[in-house]
Amino acid sequence: MKLENQMAMLLTDRAEDGNFEISRNVFTDPSIFALEQKYIFEALWTFVGLDTQIPKANDFLTTHIGSQPILLTRKSDGSIGCFLNTCRHRGTVVCPFKRGRQKFHVCRYHGWAYDSDGRNTAVTDRDDGQYPADFDGMDRNLIPVAKLASYRGLIFASLSPDVPPLEEYLGDAATFIDLIVDQSPVGQVEFVPGDVTYTFDANWKLQFENGLDYYHFNSTHSSYVDILKKRAEKSSGDLPQEAASEQEGQGSFSFKHGHAVNWSIKRVSRYARPLSSDPDNFRAVTEKVGAERVKWMMRQRNLTIFPNLQLIDISSSQLRTWRPLSADKTEMTSHCIAPVGESSESRRLRIRNYEDFFNPSGLATSDDNVMYEFCQSGYAAAGGSTLGYLRGLGSARIAQGPHAAELGIEPDEYAFGAPGFGGETNFHAGYREWYRILSEAASK
Amino acid sequence: MIDSSASAAADLLLKEAWLLDRKNWPDWLGLYAVDARYWAPAWLNEYDYVSDPETQVSLIYHTDRDQLQERISRIQSRKSITALPLPRTVHIVSNVLIVGSDAEGIDVTASFVVHVFDPRTAREHCHFGHYEYRLKRAAGELSIAAKKIILANDRVPTIIDFYTL
Repeated sequence: MKLENQMAMLLTDRAEDGNFEISRNVFTDPSIFALEQKYIFEALWTFVGLDTQIPKANDFLTTHIGSQPILLTRKSDGSIGCFLNTCRHRGTVVCPFKRGRQKFHVCRYHGWAYDSDGRNTAVTDRDDGQYPADFDGMDRNLIPVAKLASYRGLIFASLSPDVPPLEEYLGDAATFIDLIVDQSPVGQVEFVPGDVTYTFDANWKLQFENGLDYYHFNSTHSSYVDILKKRAEKSSGDLPQEAASEQEGQGSFSFKHGHAVNWSIKRVSRYARPLSSDPDNFRAVTEKVGAERVKWMMRQRNLTIFPNLQLIDISSSQLRTWRPLSADKTEMTSHCIAPVGESSESRRLRIRNYEDFFNPSGLATSDDNVMYEFCQSGYAAAGGSTLGYLRGLGSARIAQGPHAAELGIEPDEYAFGAPGFGGETNFHAGYREWYRILSEAASK
Repeated sequence: MIDSSASAAADLLLKEAWLLDRKNWPDWLGLYAVDARYWAPAWLNEYDYVSDPETQVSLIYHTDRDQLQERISRIQSRKSITALPLPRTVHIVSNVLIVGSDAEGIDVTASFVVHVFDPRTAREHCHFGHYEYRLKRAAGELSIAAKKIILANDRVPTIIDFYTL
């Protein structure tokens, strides 16, 4: 069967009739994985690092976009460079290190050298090389990525030139980046040192879904909830509270290009938050952005920027990205993202809470990882489409609320429900975008 | 006295491994002092790992035994999918060296390999690295005042926890 026709069987989008179905194949089929690599992971805006990771000239870090090795540098003029980490001579990875500061990157194979601007500064024994006459006219510089831009210190790169400008791509989802960055008295974010990388033997879309899934929290993380309850009994501190006039519940916004964000309004929080643990900074931030914004900063928010970035702000704050290695294996890179200039007390709380919740060695994320693997195993059963994308499609859906207006945004979709809502319509934007991109690709 | 201390110290390390492999959590926890520090730092780069847990992220950082009890309770509750089922583990502790000894306690280093077999998926992993212990003396007994676990292969396959380190 032609791939185009196969594509049509993968997604059933009749949300207006209360139906949305995804075929199990999308999680298991290697040909879909190959299309995703080419048309999604190596063709859209991808987060590659923070400004604050490469503050000084000649600072660098290495990463990947899809399976392509990438070198990110601070150039001599203070701007950012982003290149394919492959020597122009015979393709060797030029920079083998994770991060550092180097004026030149010398390929150890034959000694070709490049500077932080990506310029080829030396060809070993050039004059003895009997090169053809047009050699000097050949471009021997490191190949730059097609597009490079940053938003509030988050650097994004695209290997394809066919992407809208970054701010247009992010759209109103950028507000949820602002809600993290503006917790800093100087409007900057940094990664707390200490890298955590992990893998799980399952498809990347399980992580994509899980980051927008409030429905699983009380079951999957029931052991963590028990721990929080016990700690709250023992502690004397006040936990953050919402004003009595605020309606409790869970909600989401979906945006163009596949982004979505979940948020939660709870009368009493389960845990202390770093922002409110520093009264001076809390006051300063409130003066800077206003009480309405601070109210939103104090709310649980889980943001997904399609295709592979999640920013979570709950008991602590995390930036995580994923790199699919195969249809059934995914590599995650996780950092504690923190406001520059917060107090050492806030920072300590942020770190401890991050270790508890977000580490694969902690008390919660490991439950998600194991669960993804059980899903992947379950998908091997010829069980047809699941019933997993329906919560929020009923006639009781809440069409209006104050939330978007409070933030000054115009999302494509809005959902809000009771604290037990566990909405699933917030997955739809990402899957629709996924489907649109792959259908176009399949028809080529 | 040095010899018997050294052998008691080495035995404690091996006993800890034995108890973990047999999933005898209460007796395992009993090896630790009440205010024991249990620390698995994260790596900063290829060569350096985290040195200050107050300003840098660790894989695990606990400053009293109650936090280890939280982990045990989480498993015993049978609410965490990570422990349904628990994997089989074989801790190999080797290269045990006494590197310091005084009236209060003994400093010990060792190498470890934890072989993990996950019967759920028939998948095997090794987690390996180094231990640094501070053992403290009290009433003729040794207990673990501090344990640092430096995990060499830190690209974590799905999950690690106190019983796989």
